[in-house]
Amino acid sequence: MDIAYQPIEGRSRGYYLLLAILLTLVAGGVYATFTMIAHGLHLSGMTNRVPWGLQIVMAIFYIGLSAGSLVVSGLYGIFGKAEYRPFARIAAFLAMLFLIAGLLSIVTDQGRIDRVFVKPFAHFNATSMFSINPALYMGHVMICIFYLWALFKKKGRLTKPTSVIVVLWALGVHTGTGAIFAFTPRELYNTALLPPSFVAAALSSGAALMILVLVSLFKITRRHLDIALVIWLGRLLAVFIVVAMYVILIENAHRFYLIESREATSYYLFSGYHAVLFWGGLIGLGSVVPALLLFHRRRGSSVRWIVFASVLVVVGVLCERYLIVLPGLEHPPDLFPGWEIVGSVLDEGIVTYTVSVYEILQALGVMSFIGFIFVLGLKYLPLLPVEARAHGQSQMLKGMIARAVARRAARAQGVSATRL
Amino acid sequence: MDRRAFLKTGGLFLVGTPCLGGLLVMSAPRTAAASGAGTRRWGMVIDLRRCPADCTACLDACRRENNVALHDDPRWDVHWIRKVTIARKHGKEERTRTVPLLCNHCDNPPCAQVCPVQATYKRADGIVIVDQHRCIGCRYCLIACPYNARFFNYKGGETWTNTGYPKRSHGVAESCHLCAHRLDEGRPPACVEACRARGTGALCVGDLDDPDSEIARLIADNSVKRLRDDLGTEPKVYYIGL
Repeated sequence: MDIAYQPIEGRSRGYYLLLAILLTLVAGGVYATFTMIAHGLHLSGMTNRVPWGLQIVMAIFYIGLSAGSLVVSGLYGIFGKAEYRPFARIAAFLAMLFLIAGLLSIVTDQGRIDRVFVKPFAHFNATSMFSINPALYMGHVMICIFYLWALFKKKGRLTKPTSVIVVLWALGVHTGTGAIFAFTPRELYNTALLPPSFVAAALSSGAALMILVLVSLFKITRRHLDIALVIWLGRLLAVFIVVAMYVILIENAHRFYLIESREATSYYLFSGYHAVLFWGGLIGLGSVVPALLLFHRRRGSSVRWIVFASVLVVVGVLCERYLIVLPGLEHPPDLFPGWEIVGSVLDEGIVTYTVSVYEILQALGVMSFIGFIFVLGLKYLPLLPVEARAHGQSQMLKGMIARAVARRAARAQGVSATRL
Repeated sequence: MDRRAFLKTGGLFLVGTPCLGGLLVMSAPRTAAASGAGTRRWGMVIDLRRCPADCTACLDACRRENNVALHDDPRWDVHWIRKVTIARKHGKEERTRTVPLLCNHCDNPPCAQVCPVQATYKRADGIVIVDQHRCIGCRYCLIACPYNARFFNYKGGETWTNTGYPKRSHGVAESCHLCAHRLDEGRPPACVEACRARGTGALCVGDLDDPDSEIARLIADNSVKRLRDDLGTEPKVYYIGL
């Protein structure tokens, strides 16, 4: 069956206003970046002891989000779920944009941006995760572009194998990103579970964001989206959350159990703002609550609750990304085991990182840049399907949908039940 | 997925993997034989028993020699060599020790391992050095160094006290290079020279591979320690009396 695509009109005042706002924010990011190029990175909140900050947090957050494409395109390509085929284009497009956002965040974070475009290629270092990853990222962007081309040109025989490659490549991308941290001799970084936990959190945040994008886009453009498709994605999200939570808990139990890393881990888990971000943000609101909501029989089949749970997951994973980068730097390496440093010209103990205005401007700029391209893409590219309907459903889903439909009908009185 | 598609995908991967592998092999880090040639392996011994707590001769000399910036802000100050005071965490020992810290010029330097542009590399004579014209300022080396011996130039603004050595721009990583420019001319590093001139003589630089050198004798005759020996980085700065 051929799927009909229809770009949005994009002539309303709201559309142009949105573009203008996004462009303004991009300008803010450009301003912040050039100011730092001129005066130095001390304008950021980064210091000798905390040399990575918000931009790296955002970079790995974006790269994780691009896993949304993996989920949705993989559903069609690998698992043969044909009802998700209408989303393949928008998923691949978003994946590409998020990867670009990740690359942009990293590039604008460098001390010498002028050298970034030549030196890493001229002097590639195969033992550096910072060399391998950009290659993986750019490969991913290129595969996404090829995949999009195959989808646009309706090259049916190419799309399926390409979607398999996209999925496998994305797995490499996320493992590699986790390895940036895991492959360094820092106490809170060097855990072999970091790449898998990165993949797991990437899958859950990516699926959650895809749910948010699909539901809001179909609602704003008043297109038909079957609840069943959202419910099933919600179930998938619930599974991802549980897997991510499992890996993260094991990772921390392990390093807390081992005496050599107990001091650092208890600082990370039980003191200061990390404890709030970890237990409140990542575990509580970001994992347990959404998992309970999504596994709940009634709430798990209500679009409103699924959307709410997805928002929580995205925020929870943002907390997780922050926790990957910062605590491991704020906690000092143990230079003299058995001794403590009581005097120095440098901050040798536990330090804190404070985000600066320039970094926030940069982060907003990158976000707005891909937002701008996305909004333009909706107008000029045939990304959005006219409608998305579920065909064959499992018995379990059928029951869930029937109940959801009945409740909705009772509430909405007369409004078409399956319409969002 | 049908059989044809499977074969296609598999074929692509079969072709792609060796290509990627070849790329990795071709780009493996080369040993920098061009600079620091010879059979020497530079190392340093610091005798803490002869290092007074209030003396800053080595720090001042290093700052002067290498035009290292100071902004009076511990967040951005650059210290190629610094002194810290340490005390026992447990036990009754009241005495504190003052320890000069600098780049350990590891035989297995994690900073060089992670550098995405091979700007940080180990010379044939064992000195770990940053190519200031290649560094892109990603700060991965600061993350990887287990000794906090690496610094990022956040602000620039060096005073050009020694015109014989270049200033640096902000936006690149820097650290002690054991005064490679002086060693190459047969002169000792600025810190060692200053320490000797002060009469303390706590610092000694020499060839670790030469059994007759002063440094080899110091290491053989004393109980020496290296920082975080357990990490396997093989640091080449040895401490007596730590």
